[in-house]
Amino acid sequence: MKQSEGKIGIRELIAIILLSVGTKLTDDTPSILFSTANNSSWMSMLLIGIMSIIPVFFLLKVFSVHRGKNLHEVNIHLFGKVVGNIISFGVLLYGFAALVLDSATYADIISTMYFTKTPFLPIYLLLLIVCGYGAKRGIEQIGATAWLTLFYLKITLFLAFLISFLQGEFKMIYPLWGPGVGEIVKTAGRNLSIFADFYYLGLIAPLVSTYKSFKKGTLLAYLIVAIELVIPLIIFVMVFDFTSIEIMKYPYHEMILYISIGFLTNVETIFLPFWLIATFIRFAFYLYLVVLLFGGIFKIKEFEYLIPVMVVLVLFAGLAPQYGVFTISHLRELLLTSLSPIFFGLPCLMLFIAKVKGDFKNESSKESY
Amino acid sequence: MNRQRRVIKLCVVISLAMMLTGCWDLTGLDEKVFVIGIGLDKADEKGKINITYLIANAEMGSTMGGGTNEKSSMTITVRASDFISMKNIANSVISREISYDLLRLILVSEELAKDEEFIRFIYSAIKDREVKRTVHLLVSKEKAEDFFKINKPLFLSRPHKYYVNMLRRANEVGLIPESRLHYFLRITEADANLFLAAYTTTSIKKTEDEFRADENDAIAGDMRVEGETNNSQFLGAAVFLEGKMIGTLTGVENRMALMINDTTEVSDVLSVFPDPANKDYQISVRIKKTKNTRVNMDLHGKTPKIHVTLPIILDVLTDPAMNSPVESKKELEKIRKGMEKYMEGRVKELVQRTQQEFKAEPFGWSLYGRKEFKTLKEYKEFDWMKTYPDMKVDIDVSIRFGKFGEQPKTPSYKEIRD
Repeated sequence: MKQSEGKIGIRELIAIILLSVGTKLTDDTPSILFSTANNSSWMSMLLIGIMSIIPVFFLLKVFSVHRGKNLHEVNIHLFGKVVGNIISFGVLLYGFAALVLDSATYADIISTMYFTKTPFLPIYLLLLIVCGYGAKRGIEQIGATAWLTLFYLKITLFLAFLISFLQGEFKMIYPLWGPGVGEIVKTAGRNLSIFADFYYLGLIAPLVSTYKSFKKGTLLAYLIVAIELVIPLIIFVMVFDFTSIEIMKYPYHEMILYISIGFLTNVETIFLPFWLIATFIRFAFYLYLVVLLFGGIFKIKEFEYLIPVMVVLVLFAGLAPQYGVFTISHLRELLLTSLSPIFFGLPCLMLFIAKVKGDFKNESSKESY
Repeated sequence: MNRQRRVIKLCVVISLAMMLTGCWDLTGLDEKVFVIGIGLDKADEKGKINITYLIANAEMGSTMGGGTNEKSSMTITVRASDFISMKNIANSVISREISYDLLRLILVSEELAKDEEFIRFIYSAIKDREVKRTVHLLVSKEKAEDFFKINKPLFLSRPHKYYVNMLRRANEVGLIPESRLHYFLRITEADANLFLAAYTTTSIKKTEDEFRADENDAIAGDMRVEGETNNSQFLGAAVFLEGKMIGTLTGVENRMALMINDTTEVSDVLSVFPDPANKDYQISVRIKKTKNTRVNMDLHGKTPKIHVTLPIILDVLTDPAMNSPVESKKELEKIRKGMEKYMEGRVKELVQRTQQEFKAEPFGWSLYGRKEFKTLKEYKEFDWMKTYPDMKVDIDVSIRFGKFGEQPKTPSYKEIRD
């Protein structure tokens, strides 16, 4: 393996994005969409996919003139020391909250759907330890693992959805407009932050070998993920119909519990391990991002050593909410809703300030060299 | 130094393997007993039901070790609040942990199925992850408890094999519907159609006069079968409206309903039609359906209209009149027309029955209906279930002949008798 001082290439970047955003369809994100957009959730998702391209595009634009800087450094540069730090700190808080709530959700999935007798704590602890270990190994290792496992994970996922598609009933996606256009758009607006991961990607921008591969990788992964999130939402409706899907918490897992491959029943045991690996990679990456940002704000060079502390913090925060799942899913919805305008607004603001500051003029003159 | 590190790493890896046991969820196969069927009966106290377990003996039938003389299955019945808490109550007589991992069917007595309370008990099924949505929901004429006790199949005495094979085969030939719990939940929640559950019984009529004249139109318990065989019948369907049983369909009615409904598949149907050439005899046919049912709707008029075209392919397998209709096109056309008319009549009867008696349909037409609406609100306002009884339903059966048996021609009856 060639040594490259902790940088990742385009395929590792794509693999990380596909696994960290792509796995969202296997948790309770679909059920948040289904609760308001019913059988037309896929349209909301499509709309989210189309709208989110704007902030992502702006962000890439800003980074094109600040190569070698990460999101935090760009923030400092654009907003000044005080405001920049405050914004970064806010971003950090949101990242931390997302990490806590998402990981708690995943631990809940494991404990309610698969290991029913095991208490929540050991499952959560184990999940975080594994992810902490992954994060400690650094972005290069996370990327390599993601790339290595990507195809196996996606093939099994594809298989699960293919079987469900064949066993589903296409007519169930009608009436096409579900709860009405207004509700579809509202749902999309509220949950825009499903793609907020792309904002956090700015943190690893300088860790990607070249800016060109960062840009290309992000856009390509964006396209794949957008498609990957829309189609399963159609398939869920085809299998469960709009009324049942509303009361379902984790549709993906209900689905793999339901389907059978020919004479093989209980096939969830095939899909579970692959899903777990994707989960590990996702949270290892999140953990890494949060620690990276934390280290950036508080000027800690050897930020990797913060990971054990962060794991403990996440663990306690994740255990805190009472009535477990309900509070967590409620908070998650709140987080998604409140993050949406920020995710949309911040990149626009950044681009605007960069324009005002005249960063782009420098760039064009630099490029002509 | 390097060696030492390697040893430490190896130790860590090996200790990781301990996690594979599944922490608290660790169980051994020999520490579990597997429930194959759950029977639900009305209890004498409100809020409780009588639950019967059909438990398979895992040792039975294994060729290794010569097998044992133990019975292949046992049944226990306990009054409980639901079948989740029953797991532990049953442990007062059963020595091992009770598992629903291999649960194949939930059998409900007709008495309970017709009760308003039934829906409360069946919905605990979705709370337990071990109860899969692929479990079959059956209705028995007698008490479920009695059914499990009396039903002792002669072959396939291991219960999981027997029930799985029985249900699959009977569904393939269209005698019973494919009554997965998943469909029950989906249809009940969508609140537009009827759900059909397989109907079964061990209480078979004894005196001859009580049998139906036509064995094609029988329902479980009505079929006259003589000889030494299994003492249960799986035939016909129990009709559920809004999670409550409201009636039954005979084997043939069920078959027609399945054939019209595209969401389920019947693959191997043999049936008989009256022979147009000779009223005393019947022609055997194999019915194949390769194309989907075509459903056209006009829902926005004063009386909503549905036009259904059912395309089928018929293999004519017998020729009891012995006049080789294959030889003449005219003759064939006559038979075809006659069959189409006959079948249309039967289907129309069924549709009428659903409109008048059940006030809802098991054909899945509401799914086609959804296309006609833009939003869910419009669809819900239309209220499929309420409108259905007043709809004008037209049925068209279009028959195409396939094969005419291995040997299409038969010698003339008259010539042989000559």
